[in-house]
Amino acid sequence: MTGTGPRAADLELRGITKRFGHLTALSGVDLAAYAGQVLAVLGDNGAGKTTLIKIISGVYQQDDGEIRVAGHHVAFRSPADSRRAGVATVFQDLALVEVLDVATNMFLGQFPRRGWFVDRKAMDTQSRAFLDELKVTVASVKTDIGMLSGGQRQIVAIARAMRTGAGIVLLDEPTAALGVRETAHATNLIRELRDRGATVICVSHDMNFVFDIADRVQVMRLGRVAGVRDVKATTRDEVIGLITGSVSGQPMGELP
Amino acid sequence: MSQAHWSRYTQQAGLIACVVVLAAVFAARDGTFLSSSNLIELLRSATLYFIVACASTLVLVGGGLDFSIGSVYALGAVVTGLLMTHGVPWPLALLAGVVVGGGVGLANAAISIYLRVPPLIATLGTFFVAGGVAVVITGGTDVYGFPSAFISIGAGELGGIPYLIFYAAIIGVIFHVVLERTVFGYNTRATGGNRGAAAANGIRVARLDMALYITSGAVAALAGILGAARLSTASSAAGGASLTFQVVTAVIIGGTSLFGGTGTIAGSALGAILFAEINNGLQVINVNPLYQNIFIGVILVAAVAIDQYRRKRRYRT
Repeated sequence: MTGTGPRAADLELRGITKRFGHLTALSGVDLAAYAGQVLAVLGDNGAGKTTLIKIISGVYQQDDGEIRVAGHHVAFRSPADSRRAGVATVFQDLALVEVLDVATNMFLGQFPRRGWFVDRKAMDTQSRAFLDELKVTVASVKTDIGMLSGGQRQIVAIARAMRTGAGIVLLDEPTAALGVRETAHATNLIRELRDRGATVICVSHDMNFVFDIADRVQVMRLGRVAGVRDVKATTRDEVIGLITGSVSGQPMGELP
Repeated sequence: MSQAHWSRYTQQAGLIACVVVLAAVFAARDGTFLSSSNLIELLRSATLYFIVACASTLVLVGGGLDFSIGSVYALGAVVTGLLMTHGVPWPLALLAGVVVGGGVGLANAAISIYLRVPPLIATLGTFFVAGGVAVVITGGTDVYGFPSAFISIGAGELGGIPYLIFYAAIIGVIFHVVLERTVFGYNTRATGGNRGAAAANGIRVARLDMALYITSGAVAALAGILGAARLSTASSAAGGASLTFQVVTAVIIGGTSLFGGTGTIAGSALGAILFAEINNGLQVINVNPLYQNIFIGVILVAAVAIDQYRRKRRYRT
């Protein structure tokens, strides 16, 4: 295991607004995520889920509102800022480089170095050890990503987010492209991440997956928060109602 | 070592075979082809192209393209030449020529990053501008009358081997190490392989582009200056489109992908040697060297076709 290990970090968004020209993608969105919990973000297409993820990961900058990490105000002007604040993002497109091997992808942007040089040996052994620890089966860490299946790539992308030791992990549709067995593996990895004390935020369409893994769900609708529910205290019908707008949600009070 | 690792070199095996077979054909026609003096001449003629190709390999691996190199080659030479004929000490003049080349590289990067002009167009534009500037400042006439110390850096020999071959070897090793071992090289490969992924993972891709294009411009100018030293003349007509095309072709024949992410300096060296070999060999066996373009064209298309086929077989989409 490398990195500093997950820290107990909370993520809080207050009144986030994002406009693209005349289109308001998000308006006054609040969000609170807690260490050791999985928060699922649900919503129909165009609800603003991906925009929200991109703001937290520093790809977009909000027009209004603030982001707080562990109580401190932060400004993300780039993905690098977000990473530095301890946020790791598994994008839907995975952000892997196909022509590079697994180990290099695991350390993309954070290569172990010796002066100007990449410490290739350390990178290979640490990648191997880390993947073994997570029971990820990849023949060799020197295999190019382009030679792996979609499911294997997804697992590598999640493993990379875990490797960085980030306290906050965002996952955009982590099971969208996966088969049954791979979904189970990804679910286990996310659970492992949570048990290590990370703050996990998962955007998903997959209701089974969400009810399987999430502690709380936040439903987005037309760029606003339609409701926040404790998974144990809600039903699929209610959540689907919030998504479609047939149930008008009263956001619950803050949960520890 | 895994199979994945070695497969990077299979295209080079084909290239080596090509170089060897051609050598055998030329030698069978005329034994002097393999004489040490001819082989040294062959290598010497490949050196300046190879030096430019080293930087171009990095640019292509990083997902870019630099067409301005042919003009920057001439511009660097005439800037250095004019400064020397106006009494500037040659080391300073050489440095100034290299800095001007780096400046064109900076302009290339700035145009493609901030004006969002694709590198092909940005560097084609600066190709014309740099070439035009080289003609204007010289009035289209050759510049000569250089100090002998300057001439000797390009024309000198050590134990019968031209300095140029040593320079090319040293520059080649440096670029090989930079590309294969350094953080900069890894970042270059990642950015060329998937720019969005590299940026999302915190690699500063714009800064990387700057470094790549500045290097490309500076190295092209340096090669032009060395060429001027060798010939004791700086000409605005040196380099040009033919140098640009030969360098980019040598790099691509050497297995560097036009789409970024993959490529090696060793491959580019082989590409440059193949070029020089065809040119030299045709002369040795008394075939009109104008035929070389026909060979090169066929080899270029074949190399890229083979590369595409291998990619398709190797990667799942």
